[in-house]
Amino acid sequence: MSDLDGAVELLRQCRPIPELQVREICFKAREILIEEANVQIVDAPVTICGDIHGQFHDLMELFKVGGDCPDTNYLFMGDFVDRGFYSLESFLLLLCLKVRFPDRITLIRGNHESRQITTVYGFYDECIRKYGSANVWRYCCDVFDYLALGALVIGAGTSVQPTRSADGDDIETRVREAEDEVEIEVIGLGGVVTRQMLRREAGMINSTNLTPSALPHLSSSGPAGPLLTGIPGTGASGNSRGIATPNNAPANTGGAVLCVHGGLSPLIDSVDKIRLLDRKQEVPHDGAMCDLLWSDPEEIDGWGLSPRGAGFLFGADIVKQFNHLNNLTLIARAHQLVMEGFKEMFDSSIVTVWSAPNYCYRCGNVAAILELGEDNSNAVLRSGGEEVLFNRENTRRLASTYMGGSMKRGGPGRRYRVFEAAAQDSRGMPSKKPMPYYFL
Amino acid sequence: MSMTVPTRFLIGPVPTGADKDRVVQQTDNDALLARWSAINSGYLEDTFTEQLMDPLLKKERRYPLINRGTYVRTSTIDRLVADFLSKPTKSMKQIISLGAGSDTRFFRFIPGQSRPFLYHELDFPVVTTRKIKSIQQGQDFILGMSCFGEPNIKVDLEAGSLQSQYYYIHPIDLRTVKPGSPIPEHIDPTLPTLFISECCLIYLSPNEADDIFRWIVQSFGQASETKSNSVGIILYEPIKGGDGFGLTMIENLAVRGIVLKTLHKYSSLERQIARMQALGFTSGNGACDINYIHNKWIEAREMERIDKLELLDEREEWTMLAQHYCVAWGWVERGQQFEDTDHTPFRKWSELLQQEDIGPVQD
Ligand SMILES: C[S@@+](CC[C@H](N)C(=O)[O-])C[C@H]1O[C@@H](n2cnc3c(N)ncnc32)[C@H](O)[C@@H]1O
Repeated sequence: MSDLDGAVELLRQCRPIPELQVREICFKAREILIEEANVQIVDAPVTICGDIHGQFHDLMELFKVGGDCPDTNYLFMGDFVDRGFYSLESFLLLLCLKVRFPDRITLIRGNHESRQITTVYGFYDECIRKYGSANVWRYCCDVFDYLALGALVIGAGTSVQPTRSADGDDIETRVREAEDEVEIEVIGLGGVVTRQMLRREAGMINSTNLTPSALPHLSSSGPAGPLLTGIPGTGASGNSRGIATPNNAPANTGGAVLCVHGGLSPLIDSVDKIRLLDRKQEVPHDGAMCDLLWSDPEEIDGWGLSPRGAGFLFGADIVKQFNHLNNLTLIARAHQLVMEGFKEMFDSSIVTVWSAPNYCYRCGNVAAILELGEDNSNAVLRSGGEEVLFNRENTRRLASTYMGGSMKRGGPGRRYRVFEAAAQDSRGMPSKKPMPYYFL
Repeated sequence: MSMTVPTRFLIGPVPTGADKDRVVQQTDNDALLARWSAINSGYLEDTFTEQLMDPLLKKERRYPLINRGTYVRTSTIDRLVADFLSKPTKSMKQIISLGAGSDTRFFRFIPGQSRPFLYHELDFPVVTTRKIKSIQQGQDFILGMSCFGEPNIKVDLEAGSLQSQYYYIHPIDLRTVKPGSPIPEHIDPTLPTLFISECCLIYLSPNEADDIFRWIVQSFGQASETKSNSVGIILYEPIKGGDGFGLTMIENLAVRGIVLKTLHKYSSLERQIARMQALGFTSGNGACDINYIHNKWIEAREMERIDKLELLDEREEWTMLAQHYCVAWGWVERGQQFEDTDHTPFRKWSELLQQEDIGPVQD
């Protein structure tokens, strides 16, 4: 490959690279992606990101907040292109990183990674504008067809290492005293720890009790949150690489986290069924592959028609059933704008992660990324059943201590890092370019 | 999150009054282009919009959510206008479009009517002159004006005025209209009258906008000793400038020099309703946001047609955008004791489904 690092350098400055080089990179990327499974296996620790939509400067902000690649292991859940002004630079940068560090970045397909959608929502026009022909758009679309449909994160820990807050508040001590684990941590704007939820108190968190701009500095360690009987299990504990299929995993190890752009499909009842799909094609208008990229969770029972015109709506029962059958502790997905950057639903069985701050330069939202840590007890746990037993014991003890005997919840430890749009000047919005449309 | 005043706007040359007016006048091109896109994408039927377009305007298709919003805006006002026109009255009806810009309603409605109505458009002279030029070039416009006989068209291009039998264009700066202002020539305040402000009064200061309301309620819809009368208004405008989306909207529009002046004062549906009530449209009034109207007013069959036109991927964005625009309406009837029907043309509006969560009064 000729001067990949040079290309990365140019792209990092948000400058387009020569057409020939685009072709070369796309070709190389395809060779890598072709080898990947429909559902890529990814080891924790990993940082999971949602929609980017060509907001290049905000993607740089994301790397600032989440760490650079390859230092941080990234998983992007699609919708790299369309809507923003820099789809090309954003997607090509991610693609270069993929070619350069194939094991440190995973890209899965979003519904915008499609020929049809990109002609409506801007990526096609952007390519024509920047290169004068549709060639580059065609190279990119050919890459889209090879992107994985999902990923399975394994080996995530049940808690996150509490972050010491900047003003020296001694959270760690507090946690140790509570003899408990931090299941959810939220790092708000400016890197300030805005919330830590201990395993026993972590309930569903979302917009209703969590507004990043007005987050309480620390959640008070009051009585346990809503009592939730989550999926039995102790969270994703050390699956070795050999046990890649969650279905085959021993029942007493934790599950995995399924990452997919949109959501579930009525035609797919197991992760294995996703593996059987022939993904190397344009996103179809219906069927399982389409649903995975288009569907949304919704407060309904069962399945519903999607107002988007593709995919379905699915309710809590569907998610819980799917997670249970597939030994998953969580589904992470993107696809829907959430003003707070992330939103857990259905007793934390599914989370939406949204990584495009001030979406379309119009929506005024913040963005988030989700960090899943490594299972720190891996080394011990992997050595045999005894420790697992200990873990179960531990679970039972915690459960009876804190939740009046009900089962401990089993999500992986999750750290959300919330971030804002890049500063206006650095965003470099072309000043002539019309701003987002309003009704005037 | 912190919202700062965009520096580009602050450090540029200080805009003069004329500059500011030009910016406001140009918003008609936005409305026109958005309507063209919705028509071109199959949402709306309107052969006149294209003929009003300056050939220099770049015809660009808008995103599906913008098309959908334009569709709901246009079709909802159309519906309220149709309700008004459908109710028979003794006197001829009159419609006055404030800041009409490239409004095509007269031409779209007149061919389907059994009785003519009067249609008056008010806008800045630069806007009206431009429109009259286009109208003179298009045969369809002349046909529209001739629906009920010889139109007797009189044009003063320099002044920006057009008179015909039923259709009039008046070059008027609405900021000069106050209670007590004379009624523009050919406008008849004794007729049951409907006012439309489709994204117009929002550009006036709260005082100026309130003065227009007062002028309307004082000068129009007054009963005489022999007959009843009525006057009503339809508003379409943005609301909710105080949340993340609203603040970003204010900031983005400020870069273009556009200020939504009454947004703060009339920031919620509740305040829009209170405005109708306080300024005299007391016989009936209401306000719904575009999202509600989209979900509740549009018939299932029509919705099905719309859904088929384009995939609406931007679902949450649509909801948010649509919640930031509203349609408000109100009317006042006077002289109900008379046998005639001139106080009744707005009564269909009392059947409109009303949104319940109009709240909170936000600052
Ligand atoms: C956004 S456009 C809307 C045009 C049209 N009502 C529509 O919806 O298609 C606003 C219009 O209001 C007009 N306008 C704003 N302030 C005005 C004023 N003070 N006097 C007259 N017209 C005004 C502008 O010139 C412009 O044509």
